Amino acid sequence: MAKDPRVTRIEELPGPKSKGEMEEFKMPYEEYCKKLFDVGNEHTKPTALKGIKWLSCTMYIFTPHAVANLAELGAEVIKIEMPRMGDAMRHTSPFNECYLYPLHDTRPMTGTGLGFTNANVNKYFITMDYHVPEMVDVFYGLVKKYDGLTELYRPGTFDKWKMSYRYLSEINPRFIYVWGGGFGYGPKIFGGSYDILGQAHAGLASITGMHEFMGGHCTKQTNWVIDWQSGNLITASVMAAIHHRRKTGLGTMIEFSQVQVPTRMSGYSFPLYGKFGVVRQRWGNWDTQLAAHGIILCGKSDFPDAENPQDKFCARYAMVSAFQDADFKELCAITGMKTLYEKYKAHNQRAEGEAQVEIYGALEKWAADKSRSEVCKILNDAGLLAEPVRNDREAYESPHYRERGTIRWLDDPLFGDMVLHAGYSSGLLEKTPRRINWHWRPVGADNKKVYRDMLGVPLTKIKEWYDKAYI
Amino acid sequence: MCDIIWCKKEKNGKPCDTINYLDPYFFWNWEGTISCAECGTVYFIHMIQGFMYIGPEERPGEKADIMPLYADKPYEGYANYQPGVEGRTRPYQCKPRKELLGVADMVKFSIRGRPVRGWRPQPPSAGLAGSFGFHWDIQKLAPEVWEQYQQKLAKGEVKDW
Repeated sequence: MAKDPRVTRIEELPGPKSKGEMEEFKMPYEEYCKKLFDVGNEHTKPTALKGIKWLSCTMYIFTPHAVANLAELGAEVIKIEMPRMGDAMRHTSPFNECYLYPLHDTRPMTGTGLGFTNANVNKYFITMDYHVPEMVDVFYGLVKKYDGLTELYRPGTFDKWKMSYRYLSEINPRFIYVWGGGFGYGPKIFGGSYDILGQAHAGLASITGMHEFMGGHCTKQTNWVIDWQSGNLITASVMAAIHHRRKTGLGTMIEFSQVQVPTRMSGYSFPLYGKFGVVRQRWGNWDTQLAAHGIILCGKSDFPDAENPQDKFCARYAMVSAFQDADFKELCAITGMKTLYEKYKAHNQRAEGEAQVEIYGALEKWAADKSRSEVCKILNDAGLLAEPVRNDREAYESPHYRERGTIRWLDDPLFGDMVLHAGYSSGLLEKTPRRINWHWRPVGADNKKVYRDMLGVPLTKIKEWYDKAYI
Repeated sequence: MCDIIWCKKEKNGKPCDTINYLDPYFFWNWEGTISCAECGTVYFIHMIQGFMYIGPEERPGEKADIMPLYADKPYEGYANYQPGVEGRTRPYQCKPRKELLGVADMVKFSIRGRPVRGWRPQPPSAGLAGSFGFHWDIQKLAPEVWEQYQQKLAKGEVKDW
């Protein structure tokens, strides 16, 4: 019988013929993720915060980073800086040698330091002297058009200048106002803060580093972790405030003390003290609950001939983890620590301080004639978890970060070829990914764009302000 | 932000016009005298919580407690005294390597051989009030670097990573 063209036969259609076959036809999860997130093509997708407009009266790392998060997610952000000087962080280059020029068109011999990177991406940069009453009126003009502001001046400074939330909310009741700074209101209201001060004040540094009897000291993380993390937490609060405004139509004020953040990062320290009166001790590269689960020093560098001291001398550390009974047994068998296995068969015996000193001591003795990669290979081959402690160069060369786009190159519109990481380190979003358009721009680079194009100020007036150093 | 003393003392018939930059950390709560890096005029200041409570007041004949961190002369093309110039600016002891005492490192290419814009002096901007465009045309604005880049490309020295 001839086939009736109006009848659809499932076996003649392309694609799976049964549910089981459909399961088989599905692309592997790996491929699915690659297609979904499409790393490297972020700019073809929309942004999540398009339409949100933010003012950034910020300096250093902590508050600028809070706003940079919004800018990476698509908010339009104006950073307001001091005329001709800019943010103090521009002048805080690592080792005072890594500058990108120019800082400003009147200062061709001054540059912006690399320390400014990652906390100021995608922002527009204008200048304004808040001490001039005429400029405060211009500032109010911006507040009327914008959704929110983040500032970091000493508590009450913006209030003194009639620029704090209680004044601005009268102009724009939908305005979201963030103060971020050292201590906030309270007994140390005028106390300024730095990252290291935060780590010290909240006790975080007291539980970082090796104990003194092992030659260690209280330690701060080399990078300004509290600054970066405080910025992230402010952004989370801003998202909540934006959501609250969608429901109520009203703005709000967020008061964020930087020295609170390290308390959140201290884990169970405070509950431990509250319940038992025990003051937590630091345990450095080892773990108070798990053993073996720490970082050990190996005898030989992976790059003994390298020029860079970080490669030449420091490529000797390896992370080793074998805390489950079977894994620990295997670790002891490979490393020849059989007597230790007999001694510390149970996990609660191994986690004791004295036992850990003995176990890690024996491990480092075993690794004394081996390089870091040899140690990791031996342990990995035995099915144990071990990983070299990488430096920045090795992380840059790591295929993992490269494939996921965490570390990548950007042809910055002003500064040319630059490697970057922070903007793409916060997870991947399928529909509205984060993106970096530019690292930063010179001081006052967008004065004309904002004052003329956005606020309608005539160029003659802008010129006058510029000559008087109002902007 | 770092506070300044703008020295306007008359010397040899014209004002000194040197901007002496004070160290912000040191000066949050500070009382004492500072000398101008250019002319040596001694000023007294009393700063409380970063606020200039008294001064700067001239104190002729007194010995300065400290020197400024850095100083420059905006009317003379930003001629400057870097930190650690003997008798002019404050010495600082924590310079980590001798290499760091020299001038800033200037690179024209990144580690993968593509041009960066990091050198000085830069051509002045064409815009008003510090305005900069969003695209810097290397071929137009730094033809010699563009030329070097073309040579690197030809030699295969430009990499992806």
